[in-house]
Amino acid sequence: MKEKTDTHLVEYAVLLSLAAIISLLFYYFRYDHRVLIFLSGVASFGYVLWGIIHHAVEGRLTKFIAAEYAVFGVLIFFLLYTVLSF
Amino acid sequence: MSVLTGKKKSNIVKDWRQQPKSIEKFQFVHHFLPHPEQQKRATLLSNRAIVIYCLAMLLIAGVFRFLPKVVPGVLGYASDITVKDLLTYTNARRKDAGLSELRLNSALTSAAHQKAEDMFKDQYWAHISPDGTEPWDFILGQNYDYIYAGENLAKNFSNSKDVVEAWMKSTSHKENLLSPNYDEIGFAVVNGVIEGYETTLVVQMFGRPRNAAQVASVYEEQTVLEKEATAAVSERVELPATEGTSESLQQPVYTQALPENPALDVTVATKTVSAVFGGFVGTLLALDVWYSKRKGIHKFTGHTVAHLGILVLVVASIWFVLTPGIVL
Repeated sequence: MKEKTDTHLVEYAVLLSLAAIISLLFYYFRYDHRVLIFLSGVASFGYVLWGIIHHAVEGRLTKFIAAEYAVFGVLIFFLLYTVLSF
Repeated sequence: MSVLTGKKKSNIVKDWRQQPKSIEKFQFVHHFLPHPEQQKRATLLSNRAIVIYCLAMLLIAGVFRFLPKVVPGVLGYASDITVKDLLTYTNARRKDAGLSELRLNSALTSAAHQKAEDMFKDQYWAHISPDGTEPWDFILGQNYDYIYAGENLAKNFSNSKDVVEAWMKSTSHKENLLSPNYDEIGFAVVNGVIEGYETTLVVQMFGRPRNAAQVASVYEEQTVLEKEATAAVSERVELPATEGTSESLQQPVYTQALPENPALDVTVATKTVSAVFGGFVGTLLALDVWYSKRKGIHKFTGHTVAHLGILVLVVASIWFVLTPGIVL
């Protein structure tokens, strides 16, 4: 149980670190929309990848869960792209 | 987790059949709340629903792209940019870098205005016009004989500080802004419609005159600033066609931009669309976390808290980090 909690913490720490790095890059490149669109794509893809790896490690990855992360990744990208493309 | 036996389940179904309204209520609630029996998320959080939100956002973005082609000028970028502020921020940056301040020159200001007018007239956004006119042609056209000259462009910004900050973030624009080769500067802040969008173009022109004695005096700088400040109130003044008025005077005259208010500000509109969709999904996720914990529902899905955290971060970035504006 403890091992599982530790793995969980490590995986969430990875997600938080990625989110913090992307946020800093977003702030640094806030005037360059092309870079921001690229970063949005990287962030969305990274989140999908994190979700899939996290559930695979937990041994509960299904097609439905993979699809869920994929649609959430697309949603995140569209939320940012709608603003950045104008 | 609640497990219903077959007998209990059939009793519930029997009760519901007698009270169809309770079934409707039960079904409606689970559009927003997770389903304890089916152990699923709310219907409005299903993968299919998320795909529909994505398609809806694409459709709205498409409308924002298409509308300016049908009704030019209805969409635009609100702005409050002034020559005085641009000059102040530019010189502050130069001062920080240990460089001399630039003087506002009337010839460079006129050249910048002509460039902005030319971009609106021929509907382009580039340093070189479609007919091959270069920035130097506008500068030389004002009889400004230079050793060094440069040009920075910006559009769709909402304030002067963001314009200068954006130039400072771009290597090539920063090189112009902090070049020791320039003594003088000229700005044009002009409102108009470009590619169907009501916007403000900013043209910044730099120069060093061949004759050092020709560098603008403080008096000349003040005169240019006063002229810019008292420029006509409308960004595009169409003079009435009266008898004896020459054809050139009837052409739209682009003037110093005042705070711009288009019918619909694209920045606010797109941010609102993203915030509404993001906020809606975020609220449903928060409800999912709360209700699942309260009712002890264990769903076989992805991590709701992770989805919620990422979504909050994205919506916050949209509102507090993203700014409109492009530099060239």
